[in-house]
Amino acid sequence: MNMHAQPQRTPAETALIDAFGDRLSLLPGDGAVMLKRDDAIETIKHGLPTRRVESWHYTDLRRLLNTVPDFDPAAMAKAIAPIVEGSAVVSILNGKSDAKVPVLEGVTFQRLSEKLIDGSIAPGLDPYGSDDAIGALNTAFVADGYFIDIADGTKLEKPIELQNLQAGGQTHVRLPVRVGAGAKAVIVERQTGDGAALSSSVSQIVLDEGAEVTWLVVQEQPETATHLAQFKAHIGKNAKLTLFVMNAGGKLVRQEIMVRTTGEGADFKLRGINLLAGDTHTDVTMVLDHAVPHTTSTEVIRNVVTGKARGVFQGRINVHQYAQKTNAKMACNTLLLSDDGEFSTKPELEIFADDVICGHGATVTEIDHDHLFYLMARGVDEKSARGLLVKAFVAEVIEELEDEAIVEALEARLDDWFVAHG
Amino acid sequence: MPAVQDTIDRVRKIDVDQYKYGFQTEIAMDKAPKGLSEDIIRFISAKKDEPSWMLEWRLEAYRRWLTLDEPTWARVHYPKIDFQDIYFYAAPKSTPGPTSLSDVDPELLKVYEKLGIPLREQEILAGVQKTDASELEEVSDNVYKSGRVAVDAVFDSVSVVTTFKKELAQAGVIFCSISEAIREHPELVQKYLGSVVPTSDNYYATLNSAVFTDGSFVFVPKGVRCPMELSTYFRMNEKNTGQFERTLIIAEEGAYVSYLEGCTAPQRDENQLHAAVVELVALDDAEIKYSTVQNWYPGDAEGKGGIYNFVTKRGDCRGDRSKISWTQVETGSAITWKYPSCILRGDDSQGEFYSIAVSNGYQQVDSGTKMIHLGKNTSSRIISKGIAAGFSQNTYRGQVSAHRKATNARNFTNCDSLLIGDQCGAHTVPYMEAKNSTAQFEHEATTSKISEDQKFYVMQRGIPEEEAIALIVNGFVKDVIQQLPMEFAVEAQKLIGISLEGSVG
Repeated sequence: MNMHAQPQRTPAETALIDAFGDRLSLLPGDGAVMLKRDDAIETIKHGLPTRRVESWHYTDLRRLLNTVPDFDPAAMAKAIAPIVEGSAVVSILNGKSDAKVPVLEGVTFQRLSEKLIDGSIAPGLDPYGSDDAIGALNTAFVADGYFIDIADGTKLEKPIELQNLQAGGQTHVRLPVRVGAGAKAVIVERQTGDGAALSSSVSQIVLDEGAEVTWLVVQEQPETATHLAQFKAHIGKNAKLTLFVMNAGGKLVRQEIMVRTTGEGADFKLRGINLLAGDTHTDVTMVLDHAVPHTTSTEVIRNVVTGKARGVFQGRINVHQYAQKTNAKMACNTLLLSDDGEFSTKPELEIFADDVICGHGATVTEIDHDHLFYLMARGVDEKSARGLLVKAFVAEVIEELEDEAIVEALEARLDDWFVAHG
Repeated sequence: MPAVQDTIDRVRKIDVDQYKYGFQTEIAMDKAPKGLSEDIIRFISAKKDEPSWMLEWRLEAYRRWLTLDEPTWARVHYPKIDFQDIYFYAAPKSTPGPTSLSDVDPELLKVYEKLGIPLREQEILAGVQKTDASELEEVSDNVYKSGRVAVDAVFDSVSVVTTFKKELAQAGVIFCSISEAIREHPELVQKYLGSVVPTSDNYYATLNSAVFTDGSFVFVPKGVRCPMELSTYFRMNEKNTGQFERTLIIAEEGAYVSYLEGCTAPQRDENQLHAAVVELVALDDAEIKYSTVQNWYPGDAEGKGGIYNFVTKRGDCRGDRSKISWTQVETGSAITWKYPSCILRGDDSQGEFYSIAVSNGYQQVDSGTKMIHLGKNTSSRIISKGIAAGFSQNTYRGQVSAHRKATNARNFTNCDSLLIGDQCGAHTVPYMEAKNSTAQFEHEATTSKISEDQKFYVMQRGIPEEEAIALIVNGFVKDVIQQLPMEFAVEAQKLIGISLEGSVG
C-alpha cells in the first residue's frame, strides 16, 4: 500500500491504538498469536487507508471512520430467531461465543478463544497485504468466534446459522470453517445488533474436494453501526461455493470478499443485493483469483440506492497465467432512485492467460420509464408500480438460490426493508 | 478460424523489432545544460523570447512540481526517472525562427520526407514557393496520396516549420507553434493556457507546465469551419532529451477543426521521456476532432530502450452543444500513460473516445479516458479495443462520472481486449461514479453484445458467426481510420487490419 506519511493521527486512529494498549492484557492468545497482534497494530499505526490507496479508492476509511466506541463490558445482546426455522444456531453475543453449542452429527464447533489460547489459529491470522486494514484490525483485537469443522461426506439437512450480535461497544470476531470432502451445507451468517458499535468480522472457509456450500451473509446492522467484514474462501477441486450477500443496514459498511479457486473444476457464484438508505456508506469489494485451470465463476450484484446513501462495488477478477480455460462473468446493476444518493463501481479484469472467457457488465440507471408506464397503464399507481419494479429487480437474484426455505426467508427480509424504507 | 489467424499474423508483423522510424539524424543541436532548475527554466523562457508573465507561470509550476510525488497508481513499472539526467531543451541550431521552408535546414526536411511527411511538396502544390517541373514530378505521387494537410513539425524542443499558414490566416484560423502564439497572441494564450489542465493538475502536467518547449497552437474563430486538416508531427531525435510539448486548441462558437498528431523517435538503448499536455476548448456549438497515431519507439525485443509516454490530454466542452472527439491508435512507446478526457461542462455537449491500443514486446500500456458529465443532457461514448501480444501489459482505465446536477447524463462504454500468447496481460479497470438518479451508464466488455442486429443481418446471409463479428468490428475500426487524414490512415491501416473476435473483456 502506498501509505503516505500521515501528518497526524485521527481521533479514530488514536482511539484504536489506545484501545489496543488497554485491552492487551485481556486478549487471549499464545506467544505466536500475540506477535501477530503486535504486527497488526503496527499496520494501524501507519494510518487507516485513504482514497489514495487503490483498494480503498471509494471508501476513505481514514475520513469516514470518525469515532470509535469504547469496549463496553456491560453491553448485552440477545440471541434471535434464525431466518430459516429449524436451523442449528450458534451465537456470538457482543463478541463472546456461547459455550452451549448445538449437537450435529459430523459437525464440530469449537470456541475460537480456545484456539487463540493454544495458538493453533495463529497461521490464519496474517492480513492479506499492507492495505488489508480490516484483516489487521481484526487480528489485533479478535477475542472470540467459532471454529467449525464439517467432516468429510457430511450432508446437512438444515442450515447452520452463525449469529454475530452486538449491543454497542466494539466486537471483533472470526469464523474459520472447514468443509470436508464431499460434504454439503448451508451456512447463514447473521450480522446485526442495536448499538452504535464498531464490529469487525472475518469468515474464513476452506472447501475440500467436491464440497458444496451455500453461504449467506445477512447484514442488518442499525444505521448507527460501523461494520467491517471479510469473507475469505479457498475452493478445492470440483467444489462449489455459492455466496449470497445481503446488505441492508449499517452506517459505514465494508464487506470484503476474497475468493481463490485452488482445484480444477472449482465453481464460485456470488449473488449480492445492497439495499441502501439513509445517510450511509456501503462498500462491497471482491477479489477473485482464478489460480488453476478449468474453473468457473459468475457474479451478479444488484444495488438499490435511496436517500443520501452512497454505495460502492469493486470487483476484481484475476486470471493467473496458468489458469487456462477460465470462464468468469461479472455483472453489477444499480438502480439509483434518489438525487442525493450515489453509486460508484469499478469492475476490474486482470487477465494473464489467453484461453479464457471473461466478461463484465455494469449499469447505473433509474427505473425504466416504459416498465413504469406499462404498469401504470394497467391502473397501478406510481408508488406501487415503482415498488414492484424495484423489488423485482432484486428478488430476481434471490430466486436463483432455488432452496425454497431460504428464498422465502430472504424475501421476508427484503419485505421488511421495503416496509421500513419503501 | 482464418480470421483469428489473420489477426495473429498481423500483430506479429508489427513486432517491435520492425520499427522502421528508428533512424537517427546528425543535426547540429543547441542544448541547454542537463538537468532541471529554475535557471534552466529561465534559460528556456529566454530562448523563446517569452514575456515575463510566461516565465512567472513556468516558475510557479516548477515550484509546485517540487512538492509533488510521482504517481504510482498506474499499472506500469519502470525504474525511477532521474530528472537531472535529461536535457530539457534541444533545438536544431539553424532555426532562429524560419519564415519559409527555404530557411529550413535541408537535413531536417529530409528527416520529415523520410517519415513520409511531405512538408515541401504541400507548399509547392499550394503555390507558396515556385519550383521547376522536375521537382514536381518527383513529389507528385506523395501529394496525390496525402491530400491537403497543414503541418506543424516539431523537432525535439522546437517547432521547425508550419505549413499553409497564409491560407489558414485568410480563413481567420491561427495555426502556429505555441512559442509564436505566446509572442504574437498573448491575450489568447493567457486566456486559455492552463484553463483545462491547470498547472497543479498532476505530476507530469505540472512538469510540462514548467518546462514545455514547444507545441502547436490552433485558434478557430467564431463560425469558421477550418478549411483543411491540421496536423503536428513530433520527432524526438537528440539523445537524453525529454520532449515536453504543449498543444492548445480553441474552437470558438460554431467552429469546427480536425487535428491530428503523429510521432516517432530513433531507436536507442536508453529510455526517453515524453511528457506532453494537450488542451482543447470547445465553445458553444463548436466541434473538435483530435486524432493521434502514436508510434514512438517501443524499445527492442528485450524491452530495452523506448519512450516513456506520460501524457495529459483533456478537452473541455465549455459551451452548450459542443463536441469533442478523441481518436487514438496506440502502437508505440515502451510505457504509455495517457487518458484523453472530456469535461462535458456545457449542456447537451458530447464526448467521444475511440481507441485502438496494440502492445507487443515488453510494452506497457495504461490508457483510457475520463468522461466527466457536469452539464445537463450530456452524452459520451467510449469504444476501446486493446490487443496484447508478446510480454506486454495492456490496461484500459476509464472513468465515467455524473455530477449531481448532470441530469440525463448518458454514457455507453465498450472495451474489449484480445490476448495473443500466454505471456501477456490484458486488464480492464473502469470507474463508474453516478451521483444523479437520471444518469444512465452502461459498461460492457463482451463481444457478443455488440450490435446483435448487425450480427444477425450478416449471419442471415450465410456468414458464420466468427466471421460476422470480425466483419463488424473491422467495419468499426475502418470508420475510425477513415476519419484520419490519408497519410496517417495508410500507416494506421497497416498497423491495424485486425479483427477482434475471441476477445475477452
